[in-house]
Amino acid sequence: MKVQITNGMFMALIINMLYAKSIGMTQGIMAREVKGDIWLSTFFSTFQGLLLIALIVIVMRRIPEGDLIDQFHRILGKFPGKLVAISVFVFFVGAYGSIMATFVFHLKDYFLPEAPTILFVLAAFLIGVYAIHFGIEVVARMALIGVFSVIALNILLMLGSLSNFDIRELLPVFQSGFKETVWASRHHDTDYAMAAMMVCMILPLVRDKQTWIKSSTAGVFYGGMIIVMWPILETGVLTADVAAQYIVSCMQMARSAEIGLFIHRYEMIMIAFFALSILTQIIMTFLCSSIAVQKLLGLKDYRPVIIPVGLILSGSCYWLVKDHHRAMHFIEGPWVMLSIGTVVGLVSILCLAGLIFRKKWKTNYEVKQ
Amino acid sequence: METTSKDKRFTAELEKNIAQIKRELGDSVDLVKRNIFFVGNRKVPSVLFYIDGLASVEHVEKVIDAMMYEGNEFIKRNELMISDLQTLIEQHVLMNTSFSMIEEVEKALIAILSGDSILFVDGCEKAFHIQTKGWDTRSVDEPQTEQVVRGSRDGFTENIRTNTALVRRRIRDPELRLETMSVGLRTRTDINIAYINGVVKKGLVDEVKKRLNAIKIDGILESGYIEEMIADSPFSPFTTVMSTERPDKVASALLEGRVAIFVDNTPFVLVVPTYFWQFLQASDDYYMGFMAGSFFRIIRYIAFVISLTLTSIYVMLVSFHQEMIPTPLALTIASGREIVPFPVLLEALLMEITFELMREAGLRMPKPVGQAVSIVGSLVIGQAAVQAGIVSPFMVIVVAVTGISSFAIPNYSASYSIRLIRFPLLIASGSLGLLGFSVMFALLAIHALSIRSFGESYLAPATPFQPNDQKDTLIRFPWWAMKKRPQLADGDTIKLGAHQKPKPPNKVKNPLEMSKDNQEESGEKNSEQKDKSKDESRDTSDITGLRRWKKKSGSNKGEKRKE
Repeated sequence: MKVQITNGMFMALIINMLYAKSIGMTQGIMAREVKGDIWLSTFFSTFQGLLLIALIVIVMRRIPEGDLIDQFHRILGKFPGKLVAISVFVFFVGAYGSIMATFVFHLKDYFLPEAPTILFVLAAFLIGVYAIHFGIEVVARMALIGVFSVIALNILLMLGSLSNFDIRELLPVFQSGFKETVWASRHHDTDYAMAAMMVCMILPLVRDKQTWIKSSTAGVFYGGMIIVMWPILETGVLTADVAAQYIVSCMQMARSAEIGLFIHRYEMIMIAFFALSILTQIIMTFLCSSIAVQKLLGLKDYRPVIIPVGLILSGSCYWLVKDHHRAMHFIEGPWVMLSIGTVVGLVSILCLAGLIFRKKWKTNYEVKQ
Repeated sequence: METTSKDKRFTAELEKNIAQIKRELGDSVDLVKRNIFFVGNRKVPSVLFYIDGLASVEHVEKVIDAMMYEGNEFIKRNELMISDLQTLIEQHVLMNTSFSMIEEVEKALIAILSGDSILFVDGCEKAFHIQTKGWDTRSVDEPQTEQVVRGSRDGFTENIRTNTALVRRRIRDPELRLETMSVGLRTRTDINIAYINGVVKKGLVDEVKKRLNAIKIDGILESGYIEEMIADSPFSPFTTVMSTERPDKVASALLEGRVAIFVDNTPFVLVVPTYFWQFLQASDDYYMGFMAGSFFRIIRYIAFVISLTLTSIYVMLVSFHQEMIPTPLALTIASGREIVPFPVLLEALLMEITFELMREAGLRMPKPVGQAVSIVGSLVIGQAAVQAGIVSPFMVIVVAVTGISSFAIPNYSASYSIRLIRFPLLIASGSLGLLGFSVMFALLAIHALSIRSFGESYLAPATPFQPNDQKDTLIRFPWWAMKKRPQLADGDTIKLGAHQKPKPPNKVKNPLEMSKDNQEESGEKNSEQKDKSKDESRDTSDITGLRRWKKKSGSNKGEKRKE
């Protein structure tokens, strides 16, 4: 029997998959585009994320025991299934680049500026390989603790920065224009795309099929609400202009927060609480890309491909994050198109193909049943 | 084909039987052979075998007395016929001793080696297996490794029967079951599996038996052998089988649906399955008020965090991230480290290893000397090391606090698990700073998340999160608020009657202000109320009342399942 996870764990995975990069890099990128309206952009993208996740669950419920690749395989045939496996793998290679940029820039720029980048990449590789060896259940359990830790981080940050919060910094709303604010939400949509693609790959492993929609949308909603505190505080405390000047604006935010004399810098507390979320992202990326390669090669288990997949992911991300400009250029530009395009494109094709070839897959499904 | 002692059986010829035993057991000096003549007029030769020191001389004498004098007298007085010797001895001679008949040589050997006696009577095809166990044992004493302020002072001993009795005394439930088996090809160590039928999780007992039966080893000298042979993660530094010296802990575990494994010759009883958080819970938590219990439990959680991370965090901050330390504190640390020639990691490792050395030396040495070593080690060497400039005073404080915190963890094996994992964490933090600390911590966390104890997640009920079990994890809820057994238990899951929260009786007017009539009236009312509440409490306090209440409320999980 396949390993299954509870709906609570599934929600926790979604929240963690959204959190780390969203608060770490996305807010700074959006601030450079729409300044004080980043919190509005975050709201917009949360709404878009909700729609996307709901659509994915509705589409995938047709063949509930198959992930995205299996669904393509059953509806359109073997070759399209392989193509989708390649697309999913490429997607996660890109996703890993953006996640590792968050991981490396947080640790390297703020704590260990002299440490070589390869060290961070190797550390992530080690954790990723070790964790997915045990399967999704262990990662899901870790994500559950991750949710508590991100909530703790949010509360601590709020306590440490509310005294400097000035609501006037949030005004005027839509200062960059409504369209621009909505358009800027595409950067945050890339984070939702990562969560959405993860959902596409692990949804069949979620135990209670009846509540798939409820748990996935709840995960996105709670994740969005936990994240939205950051742009609001960043705008109200740091100001949008300052947030825009940093690659990792959340660290600057953490640096400015303080409770008394002895809790005067939050960076380390932030890393401690935020670590589980970023590690969940790293591990899930490893897992999903390994599953994609397993399906591509037609293997029974993903474990034999963990190390080769890990090496490809690590090699590509090393090339990307070694240069800040290259990484930021990728995350702000091609990654947006690649991530949103892949997720929305694949889900739309699957939805349409399901409608067009309804008879074919239904008959096949019934025969299999 | 050669026949083993397992297949061999006794015969009616006494000499052959004696030779058989002698051949199997050799000429050990402690093997005693007593020749007895049964029934004076016919003088039926008989032989009694036992091991000196294992069998109670008093019991043996009683048997001999019965065979040679009392039995004879009885037979003569009642003019009993001696046609069937075996029946005669069974029914009229061995009346004051418990015995059974055996015919396999293997069984007789095990019986002799376990302290029982074997009686052969010429002409009888079967041997008499007489219970004569009686060796010197340590009396029930206070547990050495799990001391409590409030709670029972009796601890397990090396005698398995005493240990099971200590638990039986606490749980007088007919559903408490004890199953026996022996493990160890040569030691044939007695092992008892205890559980409460109807509470224990389905399949758990079978799993325990399966794992114990799978052990093929020549000897079991302590429950540690069993622990290592049945653990789910043999390479894990975490202990997944709890061992305890306290009968109350075992009783409480059984009531929670766990299984206890008693091993002969050791005062440590194993409890499975085990969650990590159990190691941070002490018996006192349940005997003191829930507020005090919860407070001390939280202190222990803090001690656990300190014990695991304080040295690593200190080394990491001082070596790599000095900017994270508040300026006045950073200056103090810097002034203390001014003359220390070693890097912080080396200094910390030096101190940690010295501390472990002192602990180990204190443990192994005779008690009075051990204390002296601790004093000399901690005070004299610590002070001298600081003055000599080998270590900084801050490091001494950090290592001492870490060491003290590790002693606050109530379970010794959990405490050494933490001490073990502290070292890789320390080395990683000292060599890679925050990156090393977080990577090593993540690896340890993933490892802890991945392990199981008899199918149960080791970190449950924190993750997977079980809301109901939170009542006894980080804090302890009052007894009257913990209605259900932990998630682990099966079948009978309710442990508390309805309305158990205590409250004072209904308020009455000040008796001094009441008239005499009123007083009488209210007195009657009060006595009525008292009787009523007595009845109610009786109804829910005794076991039948609880069962009746459960039936009435229909909240029993098992019943629900049946439906």
